[in-house]
Amino acid sequence: MSEAQGAPFSGSIMVVGGGISGLTTALEAAEVGYEVFIVEKNPYLGGRVAQLKQYFPKLCPPTCGLEINFRRIKDNPRIKFFTLADVEKVSGSPGNYNVSIKLNPRYVNENCTCCGACAEACQTEISNEFNFGMDKTRGAFLPHEMAFPSRYVISPQILGTEDAKRCKEACGYDAVDLDMQPKTLDLNVGAIVWATGWEPYDASKIDNLGFGQYPNIITNMMLERLAAANGPTKGQILRPSDSQAPKSVAFVQCAGSRDENHLPYCSYICCMASLKHATYIREQYPDAKVYIFYIDMRAPGYRYEKFYEKIKTDENVEFIKGKVAAVEDAGSGQVTVVAEDAVNGEKIHQTVDMVVLATGMQPTAANAKLPAADMNYTDDGFIINDLDKGGMFATGCANRPADVMMSNQNATGIALKAIQTMMKR
Amino acid sequence: MADKYLVQPDIDFINKVRANGGESLKKCFQCATCSVACPIAPDRKPFPRKEMIAASWGLKDKLLCSPDIWLCHNCGDCSTLCPRGAKPGDVMASLRMMAINEYATPKSVANAVNDRKKLPLLIALPAIVFIVLGLILKMLGINWLNFSPERIHGEIAHAQFFSTWLVDLVFIPLSIWAVAVFALGLKRFIADMHKNAVAEGKTDKETIDVKGFLSALVRVIPQILKHNKFSECSENNDRATPHMMVLFSFIGLLIVTGVFFITLYVFGIHGPYSQLNPIKILANISGIALIIGAALLIRQRMNKPDEVSTYKDWYLLWLVLGLGVTGMLAELTRLADAAFLTYLIYFIHLMLVFHLIAFLPFSKLAHLVYRTVAMAYNEYSGREAKKA
Repeated sequence: MSEAQGAPFSGSIMVVGGGISGLTTALEAAEVGYEVFIVEKNPYLGGRVAQLKQYFPKLCPPTCGLEINFRRIKDNPRIKFFTLADVEKVSGSPGNYNVSIKLNPRYVNENCTCCGACAEACQTEISNEFNFGMDKTRGAFLPHEMAFPSRYVISPQILGTEDAKRCKEACGYDAVDLDMQPKTLDLNVGAIVWATGWEPYDASKIDNLGFGQYPNIITNMMLERLAAANGPTKGQILRPSDSQAPKSVAFVQCAGSRDENHLPYCSYICCMASLKHATYIREQYPDAKVYIFYIDMRAPGYRYEKFYEKIKTDENVEFIKGKVAAVEDAGSGQVTVVAEDAVNGEKIHQTVDMVVLATGMQPTAANAKLPAADMNYTDDGFIINDLDKGGMFATGCANRPADVMMSNQNATGIALKAIQTMMKR
Repeated sequence: MADKYLVQPDIDFINKVRANGGESLKKCFQCATCSVACPIAPDRKPFPRKEMIAASWGLKDKLLCSPDIWLCHNCGDCSTLCPRGAKPGDVMASLRMMAINEYATPKSVANAVNDRKKLPLLIALPAIVFIVLGLILKMLGINWLNFSPERIHGEIAHAQFFSTWLVDLVFIPLSIWAVAVFALGLKRFIADMHKNAVAEGKTDKETIDVKGFLSALVRVIPQILKHNKFSECSENNDRATPHMMVLFSFIGLLIVTGVFFITLYVFGIHGPYSQLNPIKILANISGIALIIGAALLIRQRMNKPDEVSTYKDWYLLWLVLGLGVTGMLAELTRLADAAFLTYLIYFIHLMLVFHLIAFLPFSKLAHLVYRTVAMAYNEYSGREAKKA
C-alpha cells in the first residue's frame, strides 16, 4: 500500500485489549502504515469471541474470523502485541502519551512447541477460567486449543512447587523458564484506544434467579462453552448436576439487564444469543423443548429479524412474554421457573431440566478502574468518547453494549480517529 | 376478552393515581416481575402487572371495582424487585385510596377527609358539634355539659363533665351514619366487583349467592385475624405484628365499649370501673397495645423512604396513635387527680373518636371493610382453587 501524505510513522498507537474490537482497530491502523502496540491481559488474543461456539446470525465459528486476523498480525511487522500485560500508568496528552506496561511472566518462552509434555508432568489441577470454572486444567496449560500465541502458560499457583520443577524437567525444548520476572516497559504513543471489552454480569448477584444455588441454572456464556467443541464437555450440552442431556431448557432473558437493581441498560446481545442457543440445543437434541421468557425480544435489523422469524417457526421453541422472577427446586435436578404470561394474564410454572440466564454485559472498566485519569464514564462504567479532544478513545463494548458486527464497525472508525489525532500533531 | 377493545384513557384518572402516591406509574414496562414477586397473587389473573397497565391507560372502570387491589397487602415485595422503580406497591395503594373515594358518598365529605388543607376544619367540626349541642341543651335546662363537674365519692368522673348521654347522643347517630355510608358503598362495590371478575375471567360464578358469599366471609375472617396474608410478605414482614396489635386492640376496645354501653343502659351501672375489673384490664391492655402498635407502624413508615407515604396514611396513623395516647392519658390524669388536665384530654379523646367513626367510610381505615369484602369475594369466586 502506498504511503499517505503527511508522513505516517510520526507516532504509534496503543490498543488496550486484544479482543475482536482491539484486533480490528490495531489491524486497520497498522495496515495503513501505523505502528501499533496491543496490550492484552490474558495469555492469548481473541477475547470473548474466542469463547464462542458460533456467531449469530450466520452460525459460523468465530475461530475462522480470528484465524484470519491472527494471520494478518503475524504478517504485519508494524504490530507488536504483549500478552499477560497490564497498563499501569498513563501520562501525557493527545499525540504524546507515556505508558507504563507491566509484563507478567508466562514462565514459558518462545521455544515452546505446544507438545504438552509439561502439562502431562504437572499433577496440580487448577480451575479453568476460560470455561468459567466448569472444568480444570493442569498447572501448565494451553489456554485453549486455538490460543494465539500458541504457547503454554505456567500458572503462578504452582510456582515454587515440585510440580513446577517437574514441568521444567519434562520440557524437551528448554522452553520452561521458572526464573522469569515481571518487567515494566515504557512506551511513547500518540493515541490510545481502550478496547477493554466486557464481562458477563455476575449472575449470583441476582438473588431471585437462583444462580449458585441450583447447579442446573447456568449463564448464557457457560452454555456457549458447553456447546463449543473445545469446551469442557467437548461440545455436548449436558446439565452440570448429572451430565445428562437436558430434555427441556428455559431461557431467562434480561437476567440482570434493563434492571435498575443490576444493569439499567439493555445489553443488546442477549436476545440474539438466546435465539442462537436455541439452535444449539435443537440441533443436538431434536426432541428437546426450549422456552424463552422475555420482556421484549430485541432482534434489531433485517438480518436479525429474519433469524428471529426462523426460530419462531420451530414448534419446539416456545416464546413467553413475561420475565422470570422466581425459581423453585423441582427435585431430581429439575428447576421450576415462574413467570406471568403477560399476554393472557396467567402465571406459568414451567419445570425444566436446565435454566440458562441470559446475563448481560458489564464494561470491564465498571469493576476495574482504568489507569487513565482524564476519561469520562457513564454511571455504568462505559467510556464516553470525546472525539473533539481526541488522543484517547474507547471502542467496542468498552464504549457501549455491542455485538461483533457493531464492534468491528466501531473499531474501524476509531482506528481512523486515532490516526487523526496524530495527523493533528 | 373481546377481540376488539377501544381504549378510552381517562387522563384525569391517570393524573390522580400519580398524585395519590403512584407517581412512578409510567415507568412500568410490563415485564411482569411484580406478579411473580407478589407472594399472594393467584395464578389466575395475578396482580399487580395488569393493574399497572390499566392504570397507565387510565382504565378507571377496570380498576376501582377490582377485588385485586384489595387482595394486595402492600408488602412491597413487588416494588423491591421492580427493575424500573415503577413501585407497583405504591400504585396499588393509590388505587385503593381512590376506590374508597369512589364508593363513599357524599363526595364532599370524602374529598374533605382526604384533603390536607381541610384538616383544621375537620378538627374544629366535632368540637363545635359537642359544645354547641351541649350549650343548646343547657339552655333547655339539661346539664349534660358541665364546666364545673362535681366529684363522685371524691373521685373524678369524666361523665360529670361530659355526660354519657351527650356522648351517645352524638356517637350513636354517627355510627348509624357510618354504617349507612358503608352499606351504600358496598352495595355498588360488590355488584361492580362481580361484573369485573366475570368480564376478566376471574370467576366461574355467574351470580352472587348470598349464602355462599357469607360462608366465604366466615372462612376468610380467621385468616384476616391471624394475618396469614401479611406474613407471606418478605419485604415488609415486620409490619404484621404491629398491625395485628392495632387490629386486636380495636376489637378489644369495641368489646369494652359494648360492655360499658350495656351495663350503663341496661343495669344502670356507671363508670369509672375498678382497675381490677376484667373489662378494665382488657381496656388497659388494648389501650397500651394500640399505642405501641401505632407507634411502631409510624416508625416503620418513617424508616421506609422508598415507599411513598401520603397524607391519607399519616392521617390514619396519627389518629390511631392519638386515640391511644389520649385515652390512656385521660385515665392516668384522672387517677392522678389532675382535674383540669384530665377533662381537657378526655375532650380531645372524644374529638378523635368522632373522627374515627364519622370519617371511617372515607379514610384509609375503610380498608377494614373493603378488603374484608374483597377477600371474601375472592374466596367465593373459586379463583384460587383453579390452579394451572
